[in-house]
Amino acid sequence: MQKINKNVVLALLSLTSLVFLLFQLYYYRFYLSQKNGAVFSKVRGSQSGEDSTRWHVVRKFLGLISSHNIPVYLIDPLILGLIDKDIEQIRSSPDGPSPECKYFCAPRDFTTFALLDKTWKHEVGLFRTAEKMGFQWLKIINKDPRLDGMDDLSGIEIPLHYIFKLASHAIHLVVFYERSGNYLWHGPLRLKQHMDRKFVPFRKLHFGRYPGAYEKPELLLVSIDDLKVQIPKNPSSFLEEMSHSRFLECRYREARAFFQLYPDDASLDAVEFRKKAKSLLHLAALTLNSLGVKFWLSSGTCLGWYRQCNVIPHSKDVDLGVFIRDYKADIIPAFQKAGLPLKHKFGKVEDSLELSFQGEDDVKLDIFFFYEEDDHIWNGGTQAKSGKKFKYLFPKFTLCWTEFVELKVHVPCETRQYVEANYGPDWKVPVKMWDWKSSPSNVQYNGVWPVDEWDDVIQIY
Amino acid sequence: MDEWKPNPTVKPHKKRSWYLAWKYKLMNQRALRKLCQTGAVLFLLVTVIVNIKLILDTRKAAYEEEEESAQDYDDEMLNVEVPRHPVSNKKVLDVEVYSSRSKVYVAVDGTTVLEDEAREQGRGIHVIVLNQATGHVMAKRVFDTYSPHEDEAMVLFLNMVARGRILIFTIKDEGSFHLKDTAKNVLKSLGSQVAPFLSWRDMWTFVGKKGGEVYGEKHAKSPALSTWGDPVLLKTEVHLTSVEDAECHWPDTELNRRRKRFCSKVEGYGSVCSCKDPTPIEFNPDPLKDNKVFNVPVAVIAGNRPNYLYRMLRSLLSAQGVNPQMITVFIDGYYEEPMDVVELFGLSGIQHTPISIKNARVSQHYKASLTATFNLFPDAKFAVVLEEDLDISVDFFSFLSQSIHLLEEDESLYCISAWNDQGYEHTAEDPSLLYRVETMPGLGWVLRKSLYKDELEPKWPTPEKLWDWDMWMRMPEQRKGRECIIPDISRSYHFGIVGLNMNGYFHEAYFKKHKFNTVPNVQLKNVESLRKDAYETEIHRLLGEAEVLDHSKNPCEDSFVPDTEGRVYVMFIRMEQEADFTTWTQLAKCLHIWDLDVRGNHKGLWRLFRKKNHFLVVGVPASPYSSKKPSSVTPIYMEPPAKEEGAVAVPAVAAAEQT
Repeated sequence: MQKINKNVVLALLSLTSLVFLLFQLYYYRFYLSQKNGAVFSKVRGSQSGEDSTRWHVVRKFLGLISSHNIPVYLIDPLILGLIDKDIEQIRSSPDGPSPECKYFCAPRDFTTFALLDKTWKHEVGLFRTAEKMGFQWLKIINKDPRLDGMDDLSGIEIPLHYIFKLASHAIHLVVFYERSGNYLWHGPLRLKQHMDRKFVPFRKLHFGRYPGAYEKPELLLVSIDDLKVQIPKNPSSFLEEMSHSRFLECRYREARAFFQLYPDDASLDAVEFRKKAKSLLHLAALTLNSLGVKFWLSSGTCLGWYRQCNVIPHSKDVDLGVFIRDYKADIIPAFQKAGLPLKHKFGKVEDSLELSFQGEDDVKLDIFFFYEEDDHIWNGGTQAKSGKKFKYLFPKFTLCWTEFVELKVHVPCETRQYVEANYGPDWKVPVKMWDWKSSPSNVQYNGVWPVDEWDDVIQIY
Repeated sequence: MDEWKPNPTVKPHKKRSWYLAWKYKLMNQRALRKLCQTGAVLFLLVTVIVNIKLILDTRKAAYEEEEESAQDYDDEMLNVEVPRHPVSNKKVLDVEVYSSRSKVYVAVDGTTVLEDEAREQGRGIHVIVLNQATGHVMAKRVFDTYSPHEDEAMVLFLNMVARGRILIFTIKDEGSFHLKDTAKNVLKSLGSQVAPFLSWRDMWTFVGKKGGEVYGEKHAKSPALSTWGDPVLLKTEVHLTSVEDAECHWPDTELNRRRKRFCSKVEGYGSVCSCKDPTPIEFNPDPLKDNKVFNVPVAVIAGNRPNYLYRMLRSLLSAQGVNPQMITVFIDGYYEEPMDVVELFGLSGIQHTPISIKNARVSQHYKASLTATFNLFPDAKFAVVLEEDLDISVDFFSFLSQSIHLLEEDESLYCISAWNDQGYEHTAEDPSLLYRVETMPGLGWVLRKSLYKDELEPKWPTPEKLWDWDMWMRMPEQRKGRECIIPDISRSYHFGIVGLNMNGYFHEAYFKKHKFNTVPNVQLKNVESLRKDAYETEIHRLLGEAEVLDHSKNPCEDSFVPDTEGRVYVMFIRMEQEADFTTWTQLAKCLHIWDLDVRGNHKGLWRLFRKKNHFLVVGVPASPYSSKKPSSVTPIYMEPPAKEEGAVAVPAVAAAEQT
C-alpha cells in the first residue's frame, strides 16, 4: 500500500507540474503579446507585417490633424536623416508616387512631429476624434516658462508634449512655443507622479530629455511614401541645430531670492545702463551671428544672467566669449561697420587675444577668445602699461542656449563651474570694486610680452 | 497564478481507472517504476527551474522598463497628489444662520461661509446661494436695503437664481428701510412668512429652497425705534438632492460642458444657466476684412468683480474682428469666480498674487499683466489694454484696425484710446471722427511694445510707491509731449463705479451720460490727417471755416449756440498760460462734461459737439491758435466759485479711473 501511495503522490505531483507548466507557457505567451515596448521589440520588429503598422499609424495621424487644420511638421531625426540623403530628388519631384516604402516603414517605436503652439486653438475636439480613431493619447503639461521670470503670476500650465499611441506605434508631438528673442522653444518631458510610466518607452524619445531652442524653420511640403507631410526645408541644418539645441532656463527663483537679499538698483543711471547694455548686446549678437561666429555670455554678463537674470547695473561693460577656432578676421571690420569702433586689441590669434569695442556712451563690449587645452580652457589678459600677461583658467564646458534680455544666446551649460572659476565661491555676493588682474579666483600670472611685440599685441585706439 | 490550484484535486479522480490498469501492469517491473519515479522527479525539477526563470525574466523586464521610463523624465518637483476630498455622501446639511445688529454669520456643516462683524460695513440683507446637490456656496451678496434701490437689485438677483437652489438670508443692522413691497413679495413667494412684515431694525434669518420648501425662519422684532431686535440664531437641516436633479440637460457639446461646469459652481449670471433657453457663450461675430489687429494681444485687467468681467467679456467677444486666442485675462488675486467666468468663455486667465496695497497694488498688477502679455506674444508690436468694467463697442477692433498704423509710424503718438473723456450724449456726434489729445484717457487703449519695454517697464513705479499707474503715465516725464488718438464717440463704455460693485446690472441704467458707439463697421474719416503735421493743417482749416459765436452771450446757455446742424463754431476763453484752466473748468462744469481735471485738450483747443454742430473752444492767449481770434472778440472769462474745488477733486478722479 505504501508503494501505491508513493506512486499516487508522484503521479499527482507530475500532473500538478504539468498543469502548472502549461499555465506558465500560456502566461509567458500572454505576457509577450501584451508588450509592445522596449524589451521585446527587437524580436517583434523583425517579424514581417510589422513594418506597415508605422506607415498606417502615421497616415492616420496625418489624417487626424489635417481634419482639424492643425499644421504639424516632421522632426523625426531618423527619418529626416534618410530624407536628407535624397533631398534633391524629393524636392524636384514633390508629388511622385513612391515605388517603395522607404521612410515610414522602418520599424520604430515612434515618429516625431512638431506643432507650433500659436497655429492651433487647443481644441478638445482633436482628442475626441483621436479617441474615436483608436488612438490613446497622453498630454504632458508644465509651467509656462514665458511667465516664470515674473513675480507671482500663476495660472496656466501649458501642454509641452503629446503622445498618440495606436497599436504598437506612437506619435510624439512636440509643442513649440515662440519666445521673446524670436526663437522657438520646446519644453522638457517630465512625468508627473500619477502618469503611466509605461505608456511608451519614454527614454527612447528624441525630444524631451532637455528643453530645446530652435530658429523658426522654413517648411517644405513633400510627398514621401505616398504621404504628404511638411518637413524643415533644410533637414541637415535642422539636424545640426538639434544636436546642440539644449536650453537652460534662467534661475528665476534664485534671482528673486538674490534681489530679496540685495534689492535691485532702480536708479535712473541703472535703468539707463541696462538699456544701453541691452541694445549693445543685441547689436553684438546681430553682428556675430551674421558672421557665423558662435559666442557666449562671459564674465560679468554671464554672472548677471546666472545670478539675477539681468544685466548687473554696476558692471559697466558687456563681456562675450568666443572660441579661438571660431575667430574670423572680419570681426573687427564688421563691428566697425555696425558702429562699434575698435577700442583696443590685446594679444594675437595664437595667444591671449582680446578685443574691445566702444559702444554708446562709455559702454564697452569685450570679446575674450578662449583657447582649449586637454583638461581646461583659458583666455588671456594683458596689462597695457606693463605688458604683463594673465591667464584665466576654466574647467571644460559645452554651450547651451538661454534667453537673456529678449535675446537667444549661448551660455556655458556648466554655468556654475564657469562662474565659480571666475568669481570664486562667493559669487553670490555683489562686489562693486573689481580688479580684473587680481580679483578673479582663476587668474594666473603668465609672463610678460616681449618688448618688440608690444606694438602688435597692445593696440589702443 | 493561483487559478490552477483547484484543478489537481479534481483530476486524479478522473484518472483513477487508468491508474489502476497501469499499476497492475507494472506491478513487478521495479526498474521501470524506478525510471518513472526518476522521470517524475526530473519533470518536477524542470518545472521549478522554468518557473524560477520566468519569475526572474518578468521581474527583470519590468524593472528595466521601469528604469527606462522613469529616469530623467521624472518631474523633479515633488508632485504629491493631493488626496481628493472624498465625495461626501451626506444627504443632510446642518445650516446655522445668525442675525444681529453688529454681526452676521452663516455656517454650513460647521464651516463658516459668511462672517461679517466689521463696523460700519455690510449693512442690509446678506444672501447666500447653495448648490442643492453639493451644498457648495454658489453666490454671496449683500444688499444694503436700508438705502434706496438696493431692493430692486436684490429682486433682480433673486430672479436670476435657478429654481431648486438653497437660499439663505440674514439681516445685519438694518434691512427694511428701503425694502419695498415688490421685494417683500418676492421674499414671500420664496416662502417667508415674516418678510411682508419686516420693519425697522428687525433681525431676521431665513433658509429656503427656491420654488420649494422652507427649512426655517426666525425673526426678532425691534421693540422701539432706537433699539434693535434681539440677535436671532437659526439652526436647521437642509436635505440635499441628487446631482442629476440639480443640473440642466443641455446637449453634450464642448460649449455646454463648459457651461455645465460654470453653472454648477456659481449663481447670479442669469440666462447663461437657464435650462430651457440658455444664452449663448460663443458669439462668432463677423470677421473684419483686412483686420490689422487680429494678431494684437488683448490684456483684460481684472480684479474680483466676476459679474463685471462676465459682462465685459460678452461684449468683447461679440465685437467684430475679435480673436479670442489673443485674449488673456489677468486676475489680481486668487479669486475663483473670475477664473470660472474666464473658463466659461474658453479664454485663458492668469492669476497674480497681489503685491502692495491700494493703488500701488493696481499699478503692480498692471505692470505684471503688461510684461506677461509681451512675454506670451513675443511677436506683438502692440497690446490692447482693457479693464473688467468696460463694455466694448461692436466696431472696437475695426476702429483700431483703421488707426493702428498711425501708432506704428507717428513717433509723436503715445497711445490710441477708445475713450473720449468729453464724449457725452450731448457733446459727441460723429462716429467717424478722430481727435488728437494731450491727455491719456485709458479705458480701452493700445500700448506700443517699444514704449513699454524701453521706457515704461524699467522705471515703472515700485510697489512701495502709492501711485496710480494712469496718473503716472500722464506725467510729463513719461508722456514727453506725446499725444493720444481718440474717437469722438467712445468705443468703450465705463459701466463700473467704485463703491457700487456687485450691482452693475442695476446701475447700468443710471449711467447713461457717456456716448457709446453701437454702429458696426464705421468707416473712419480722414485717418491720415491725424498725423502730427497734417493735424495742424486740419485744425487751421477748421478754424478758418468756423463761425465765431456771439461772445456777449452766456456760454452756458443753450442759446449760445444757434439752432443749426452740421456747422462749425468757435469760441475763445481766457487762458493766461499753458496750465491756466480756470475758465475751461467752469465751462466744462456748466456744459456737464468732465470737469474734475483737464481732459481732451490739444494745444489749448477743445473739440466737441453742441446741438449737432462742431464746437471749438480756444484758450487765449496760451493756445497757438489764438491768432485766429478776431481782434474785436474778448475771450470769455468765468470766475471759479469761491471755494477752490479743482484741487480736491483730482484724487477722486484717480479713484474713479482705477480698478
